[in-house]
Amino acid sequence: MKTAPRSDDRNPARTLALRTMEAAIEVDGLRKRFGSAQALDGTTFTVAPGQVTGFVGPNGAGKSTTMRIILGLDAADEGTALIGGRPYHTLRRPLSQVGALLDAGALQPSRRARNHLLWLAHSQGLGAKRVDEVIEQAGLGSVARRKAGGYSLGMRQRLGIAAALLGDPPILMMDEPFNGMDPEGIVWMRGFLRQLAAQGRAVLVSSHLMSELEDAADHLVVIGRGRVIADTSVASLIQAASGDRVELRTTARTQATTVLAHAGATVAVTGTDLLTVSGLPAEKIVAALTEAGVPFAEVHAHRATLEAAYMELTRDSVEFRPGGLGGSAS
Amino acid sequence: MTAAPAAAVLDKPAHAVRAAGADLRDAVHAEWTKLRTLASTCWLLLGGAALTIAVGAAAAAAFRCQPGACTLAQTGADPARISLTGIDLGQAVVAVLAVLAVGGEYSTGMIRVTLTAMPRRLTVLGAKAAVLAGCVLAAGVVAVLGSVLAGRLILPGHGMTVANGYQLLSLTNGSDLRAAVGAVLYLALIALFALGLATAIRESAVAMGAVLALLYLFPLASALIGDQVWSRRLDQIGPLSAGLDIQTTVNVKALPLTPWQGLGVVALWAVGALVLGAVVLRLRDA
Amino acid sequence: MTTVTPYRSDLTPGRDGFAQLVHAEWTKFRTVRGWLIAVIIAILVTAGIGVLYGSVTTVSCAVNNGKWLYGEACMTPLPPAGPGGELVIDRYMFVHQPLAGDGSITVRLTSMTGLLPGPNQMGPGPSSAPGSGAGSGLGLTQPGLEPWAKAGILITPSLSQGSAYAAMMVAAGHGVRMQWNYTGDTPGQPGAVGPANPRWLRLTRAGDVITGYDSADGTHWTEVGSVTLPGLPATVQAGLFATSPDETRASAAFAGGNSIDVGPTEVTAVFDHVTLSRSSLPWRGDYVGAVQAGIGEYHQAGGQFTVTGAGDIAPRPYERTSQLGPAVTLTDYLLGTFMALIAVAVVATMFITGEYRRGLIRTTLAASPRRGRVLAAKAIVIGAVAFVAGVTGATGAVVIGGAIVRHRDYYQWPASTPTEVRVIIGTGLLLAVAAILTLAVGTVLRRGVGAVAIVIVAIVLPYFVSVTRIAPATVGEWLLRITPAAGFAIQQPYPAYSQVTATYLPVDGYFPLAEWSGFAVLCAWAVLALAAAAYLLRRRDA
Repeated sequence: MKTAPRSDDRNPARTLALRTMEAAIEVDGLRKRFGSAQALDGTTFTVAPGQVTGFVGPNGAGKSTTMRIILGLDAADEGTALIGGRPYHTLRRPLSQVGALLDAGALQPSRRARNHLLWLAHSQGLGAKRVDEVIEQAGLGSVARRKAGGYSLGMRQRLGIAAALLGDPPILMMDEPFNGMDPEGIVWMRGFLRQLAAQGRAVLVSSHLMSELEDAADHLVVIGRGRVIADTSVASLIQAASGDRVELRTTARTQATTVLAHAGATVAVTGTDLLTVSGLPAEKIVAALTEAGVPFAEVHAHRATLEAAYMELTRDSVEFRPGGLGGSAS
Repeated sequence: MTAAPAAAVLDKPAHAVRAAGADLRDAVHAEWTKLRTLASTCWLLLGGAALTIAVGAAAAAAFRCQPGACTLAQTGADPARISLTGIDLGQAVVAVLAVLAVGGEYSTGMIRVTLTAMPRRLTVLGAKAAVLAGCVLAAGVVAVLGSVLAGRLILPGHGMTVANGYQLLSLTNGSDLRAAVGAVLYLALIALFALGLATAIRESAVAMGAVLALLYLFPLASALIGDQVWSRRLDQIGPLSAGLDIQTTVNVKALPLTPWQGLGVVALWAVGALVLGAVVLRLRDA
Repeated sequence: MTTVTPYRSDLTPGRDGFAQLVHAEWTKFRTVRGWLIAVIIAILVTAGIGVLYGSVTTVSCAVNNGKWLYGEACMTPLPPAGPGGELVIDRYMFVHQPLAGDGSITVRLTSMTGLLPGPNQMGPGPSSAPGSGAGSGLGLTQPGLEPWAKAGILITPSLSQGSAYAAMMVAAGHGVRMQWNYTGDTPGQPGAVGPANPRWLRLTRAGDVITGYDSADGTHWTEVGSVTLPGLPATVQAGLFATSPDETRASAAFAGGNSIDVGPTEVTAVFDHVTLSRSSLPWRGDYVGAVQAGIGEYHQAGGQFTVTGAGDIAPRPYERTSQLGPAVTLTDYLLGTFMALIAVAVVATMFITGEYRRGLIRTTLAASPRRGRVLAAKAIVIGAVAFVAGVTGATGAVVIGGAIVRHRDYYQWPASTPTEVRVIIGTGLLLAVAAILTLAVGTVLRRGVGAVAIVIVAIVLPYFVSVTRIAPATVGEWLLRITPAAGFAIQQPYPAYSQVTATYLPVDGYFPLAEWSGFAVLCAWAVLALAAAAYLLRRRDA
């Protein structure tokens, strides 16, 4: 599973940094308080190269604050956040180490999109040629000379991604990159993130919608009320949430229930001709039913959605709960 | 929709590690690109210079002396200062430019992009200051040369002749050159002063109010109060009144400060504001 | 087929009135803590600068043996005050006798001649005359009349300075006038006086009422005015007077040279046909307000009186360059108005540009689609806030600052209570209209920095240019007529008298437009900007 860190022999400094580090981003015991609100309360996790790490949690869980602290924009009250073993502010040419997309709207509207990238490139000692490369990469070729103020949210996201790619960094951090993207864009984005990870980069992507990360993330850091609730691979999270349940489709519901109960399984009715069976592996279920001559159409292992697993995890750490519709009537 | 082949990304030449000086150079380059790619910069600089010259020319054209009372001794009028009247308005335009240079980043949130790209915050402030000062110096030279030229052409027609004891405005004579160079430097210092305050305050409308308040309040108070002792003190500490000393070529001895001391006071204000801005930029979350 | 019942809210519909809109905007305003703080700062700064100035001022007037003289020492002896409490100049040659009970005095004035100071008799400071001697004693040689040189008849209860009076006179350049109690002035027949063009003047007393008449021929009389001098004693002094004010020449220079030269003048008037009711005693000549004896002169030959005098009977305008030296004025206390103005301008700008920056304007306009009314509601809220801030701050500055100055025994140039009230209310109005103007400019520009810069430069810079005299006086004067800075006139602490020649400079608190006219100019700017803002707000996409 683990992809070897990307090596670039022509850049000894960077190669050295990447070779010697286990984790691209290390966040250790971050605490941050805004007035009376404890935004971060001992947040700790690491981000490994070669995979997409999803950073998920409900609104207000502390995702953006963590990312701002990693980028040295906000100072933590306690704890450290390191990039390749070093604090962000000590990095030279930081965009060639970390590419970040925090807020796609964070640009001056009267400047043309290409010029926005141009000043960023100049800040890293890069030239206009590199700017045109990332514009093509982000698919902005036809609109790059328009004023950024006229961009739609999806176009701004792409511009932000172009900015993040400018320094061709081994680490990428994106805060809610799916926001405002159309379905086509979301599919493109997923593929793009996977591609970046496949090149050996560490990719940290935050989202408050687990479904967006379903086919994109390899690893998940789930945060709620400033604490890491889960730090696990997507596969094991789903497995944990799925349990060892089997779904069975049969027209003879009562018969099947009796047979399986005798075999030692717990059976729950989940539809008109659908049963969920737990406590018995699928092959034994098939054997028992065949033996008893109970007809059945379909047997498959139950697979929980990422969304359901996530809801399970964050149930207790949601900051705001809607009161439900009813308003004045209640 | 498709990303460029990975190889195109990865195989580009890497950059060598450079010295810290390169950081500042890149930052200056970035800030210069940032400033020049906003259309408002160009308009403010051009407009500010044009306004300065126009006001200076108007002031020169409005100068009158009663027949028979036109000599330097009788009027005490200062050709350099009259020609440079436009600086009073021009500095407000310069302040707008400076406040926008940093306030515009805070109001849009772009400051976070800037500080992500250039995490050394003092380098960013230094680069901004250098670029801004450079632009203002260039525009200031145009504005001051235009004003002096207008004064030289207009004032002799209004009685400010050599016969009446005035010097013709000319950059070859020491005091006029000092006034002109001082006025250009003054504009740059006001830009730095406004930049520092705006960095500390962040909210551009508030910063603009603060800059103009500090500029105009001291000379206004000094002129309006009857108390000569306090009036003189205010003239010595206010950035605008102290800065006007450098533009004075007549009756220099009566000034509350020597011309260069006056410019020094402005420089102190600019340095103070920049230090304040630097401290806030360093300590506060972006 | 199922029918769907449309959703009906149980919520009682709120009223959709303008008051609700204003209430909404007020809620919007007061819930931004920074704005409230800014307004409180504006109040504290306005009051604080007044208090501070009152506490630290060392108003100085003259160097005495190398030492500055401070405070009331400059004002010793205090100048006389008229019946209305205002400071006055009351020096004139008076040829008089008592008039008991009701009666009248009539004269014919046949000639006025005078002398003016030569170039070397003008000084940068106030002239010491008319105390150094009148007539030839002043050493004047250049013939000419000061336009406000006065000669005529006068009724007063007492010869002490600052007494009540009523007078009929000819002013050399301003025709016949009836003047009373220093500030009252009504014109009669115009034109200069001369042997071919004499003027008849008459004053009639009936109880407390004195009526003035003029005539060209002594037969056809016209009433010029009628005034009441309350508490006039039974016996008053009635007689002939002549006086001529100092000539003031403001140098036209600026940018370093702004000297004001002053020199003494005198007038000689010839009267005949002098009739006074129940005249019994001989005429007696006194120089009222004489610093020393033997000033002024008069000759009586037959029925002809020749009276020579210098001085003035007039209110004394505040001039820091005057003989009295500078004093603390209401303007000094109100220096903080500029800070408050800037604070209010910033808040007013953000009140509208803040809506644009985060797209709140779309919510606002969705909640109340009639855009003009939104703007009006905003204007009312910001105007009211600024008014309260201005009045509170100015009250603190004037009341507390004044108390401190009096406590420290420094001298404050007197202002009547109605004037103080007008200045305080005016400060509130000034801030209110300036805030509305800023709001409108902010709506037009939708950019905070630009709006703040433009408004402050438009209001403060013209005033700045006028008071610091970096531009020629005429330019400064016009700027104070046509720019929004004209509104500062409402803070004018002391009246400019048309019958008194003085420099009346903005720096001394005098404005080219009258108090309320100047304010009207500012209002006109605000209305203009509001109209543009309402038009653009309706027309543009939010």
